Amino acid sequence: MDFLLPADQMAMLLWGLRTTVLLFTVAWVGAFALAVILVTVRATEYRPCRWIVDAFVAYHRNVPLLVQVMFWYFGMPEILPEGIRFWLYDHNAEFSLAAIALALGSSAYQAEDIRSGLRAIPATQFEAARALGCNYLQTMRFIVVPQALRISLPPLVGRALLLFKNTSVAMAIGVAELTYRTREIENMTFKTFTVFGIATVLYLLGTFALMGLGAWLERRTTPGRKERRHA
Amino acid sequence: MLEIISNYWLTFLIGQYPNGPLGGLAMTMIVAVLSILMSFPIAIGIAMARLSAWGWLRMASAALSSFVRGIPLLMLIFWCYFVIPIMTGYAVSGFWTLVAALTIYEAAYLSEVIRAGMAAVPKGQTEAARSLGGGYFLTLRSVVLPQALFNVLPGITSQFISTIKETSLGYVIAVNELTFAANQVNNQLLTQPLQVFTILAAIYFLLCFLLSRGLSALEFSIRRKRGLI
Amino acid sequence: MKIKNIFCAAMLALPLGAGAVHADALDDIKARGTLICGTLGTSEPFSFQDAATRTLVGYDVDICKLVADSLGVDVEYKLLAVAARIPELDSGRIDILAANLGWTPERAEQIAFSHQYYVTPQKLLVRADSDIQTIDDLVGKRVGATKGSSSEQLIQQRLPESRVIGYADSPATFLSLQQRKVDAQFASELVLVRLVNQSPESAPTRILEQSVVDEPWGLGLRKGEDALLAEVNTALEEAEASGEAAALFDKWFGEDTAYGLTRSFQIQPIAAD
Repeated sequence: MDFLLPADQMAMLLWGLRTTVLLFTVAWVGAFALAVILVTVRATEYRPCRWIVDAFVAYHRNVPLLVQVMFWYFGMPEILPEGIRFWLYDHNAEFSLAAIALALGSSAYQAEDIRSGLRAIPATQFEAARALGCNYLQTMRFIVVPQALRISLPPLVGRALLLFKNTSVAMAIGVAELTYRTREIENMTFKTFTVFGIATVLYLLGTFALMGLGAWLERRTTPGRKERRHA
Repeated sequence: MLEIISNYWLTFLIGQYPNGPLGGLAMTMIVAVLSILMSFPIAIGIAMARLSAWGWLRMASAALSSFVRGIPLLMLIFWCYFVIPIMTGYAVSGFWTLVAALTIYEAAYLSEVIRAGMAAVPKGQTEAARSLGGGYFLTLRSVVLPQALFNVLPGITSQFISTIKETSLGYVIAVNELTFAANQVNNQLLTQPLQVFTILAAIYFLLCFLLSRGLSALEFSIRRKRGLI
Repeated sequence: MKIKNIFCAAMLALPLGAGAVHADALDDIKARGTLICGTLGTSEPFSFQDAATRTLVGYDVDICKLVADSLGVDVEYKLLAVAARIPELDSGRIDILAANLGWTPERAEQIAFSHQYYVTPQKLLVRADSDIQTIDDLVGKRVGATKGSSSEQLIQQRLPESRVIGYADSPATFLSLQQRKVDAQFASELVLVRLVNQSPESAPTRILEQSVVDEPWGLGLRKGEDALLAEVNTALEEAEASGEAAALFDKWFGEDTAYGLTRSFQIQPIAAD
């Protein structure tokens, strides 16, 4: 690669990729956990819970991610007590707040995907489990959620891909991820095509790895071997 | 915040028009509508290719679609910005660059939605149409697509909403849309970005929320008219 | 891997193919009778839309006009985003760049720079109540800069121990300074003067006197256009000798403007140090 970019600049890009991957991982884990909670809360019959979840989902679906990230970085810390706020600023606030914004944004979509999966599970299964003496949480944990997750897997993989790519908006608040580094090196060297080319290849490697992982998971979780051909 | 709205609402809505270029919310809508309209036929084409009987066509279209879906939109916009003028030899404005990038990007995503819809139409219908003597295109046009497209209307709606939100990335190539307008206001006020971003978020929210509600209400009433509910 | 190869090929082929199109820019300009000048259009007071007349005005704009006049041709402006400056120049769709081009040795490998036509002191802005008095007080602290400007690397080189955070634009950086997310904002003096003037009374700011670095700006040309470069430099030298350049400086930055600066540089070759 040395004929394209000097080793130190290449290293900067790779550090950017590392931050991108880290940001994605943290945000995805957070988003998935939150999505499961959202779905569970939404599934209860208690109305205010449903309204809150619906409002949460509606906000995140209808406001651009860039604006959400800005809002979290510039707005939210202002309501924290001073001590916590300054502690946060000393410990890479950019990364954590970007991760929170990305996680919340993605969780709203993931919750919708899981919910569609849940709706595909016949109500009779739920009733049967309850009749057999499982309580609500047990029924969800052992009967409904595993099946729903399997159905929701393809859209969830799609969401994960989007999240990976969307980490690039964290650039706007100074997180030194791949797009940030790309623009920095472009600006330093003016080798526009080379730098953007390498960054694109790096992004593709990441997304293709995720696509492969998704396909593998799909194969693993499909019960029996279905011949899936659309001719 | 009310003061910002009363001073700058026209900038948010239409940019500098009629004294300068059209911008703001109006530009956001024009870019989004143009991109989704242009991506629609391409998406149907890709979906057809992905369900084609020829292996090489399935492979090629799948590769194309994963490639486009594999890079961040921001990167795609940059590439269009640099490459389109060199390939065509014409200077292309930021507006058309953004429309082109969004068209390519949305076509890839929309093709997945449409493909799912086409695959969900029972195979027996295609077979019946073909055995009645209908050709491939006739079958597609009068049997498969009308049902498939109608069934995936919610998916198309949500793709349209994402397109509106994605136009915000136009600011990187200085397209005069809503986020760009907000940044201009920001640059004039200098000290109140939080208020400006709140207004910006509220405008996007209202627009996208009302649109998605409106479109799903429309879909609901069509279903009712067709006796599907 | 196939895709990667295609990309590598594209990366290598594009700049080469584009560069070969125009053999001699000076002849082209004379033949068509216009100098196409790329400028930002969003950078007051260098190149911006005048609110009243809605025409493009500014120091960069006037400098382009001056060069075109000296060549005896008309001038045509083309507005560019920061990221598009170099590709536009490489592809030959503009002849000359007047777009906040700070000279650095690395950049000078990609494009040719004219004589310096502006020198900007890069300084630091801190909160008025902060105990930071000198540049070295900032060692180990956080410094905000604007993404896509050369400031970002300059301050990192000066303060390698500190954490430099690049934001989307100067209002965002300024907000971070006020919210104590960063301890200082690094930018050109011009930007900082505007920020001090517009700081709210509840949160005043001050500029550190000592300038971190003086950044020379040149006009950007494609490499190898030596004839055009020579003509451009002659035009700049003549403007310096006649006092026209100094008058332009006073028009945009002098006593009667919001900046009230005095000219501390001359148009001359950029010293490669």
